[in-house]
Amino acid sequence: MQYMALIYADEDGWGELSDEERASWYARYRAFSEDARTAGVMVGGSELDATRDATTVRVRDGETLVTDGPYAEVKEALGGYYLFECASIEDALGWAARIPGAEHGSIEVRPVYSDPTDPEV
Amino acid sequence: MYALLIYGDDSSWVDLPDDERARLRALELPEWHALFDELREADPTYAGKELDGRRTAKVVTVRDGERIVTDGPFAETKELIGGLFLIELPDLDEAIRLAARIPAARHGSIEIRPVLQ
Repeated sequence: MQYMALIYADEDGWGELSDEERASWYARYRAFSEDARTAGVMVGGSELDATRDATTVRVRDGETLVTDGPYAEVKEALGGYYLFECASIEDALGWAARIPGAEHGSIEVRPVYSDPTDPEV
Repeated sequence: MYALLIYGDDSSWVDLPDDERARLRALELPEWHALFDELREADPTYAGKELDGRRTAKVVTVRDGERIVTDGPFAETKELIGGLFLIELPDLDEAIRLAARIPAARHGSIEIRPVLQ
């Protein structure tokens, strides 16, 4: 079963870190990814660019509305995610707790939905 | 590479009986398959994931070495991420064009975020 771990953290705090501090966080993320890969848990993951580079699209009454910025202005924004293959949500929560961002931000764990009647969805 | 994050309000959806949800899902499915074809044409290696609703969401934090798990999604907003696409596209305009083709853009919002390599 796949689980997505969405990483929410304070973007301003990240911007205020020194280069050395940022390098040290990246090193911890790399070490974590390596552990998850070795354990066969890691399916994928990505880091997203800051929300100031976000664009939001809505379609209302057939018209496409495009706005600059994220869907919602929040203090703690989605900054990236991991995709895990785990036997249970307990296992996924265990791996999520080891994501470095769990120590200062929040990790939302969501089972990935699969439609038994439609393997493509 | 862009992430197209699909935000929507699933509160009415999760309360539906299973067969009604399946029926509504089946109605929208051809439109989603047309979208998948279009995404595949733009990037044959695109990836998409649909996430379970808010009832199965959990949030984990670690403070002072202690793990805290709470039920429900992180954000207290009515809308939450219901899925995402990851796709390699030439520019933001193309991402906007495809985002507008996502059926959920008609009732929810699609947030486009560049992915760091």
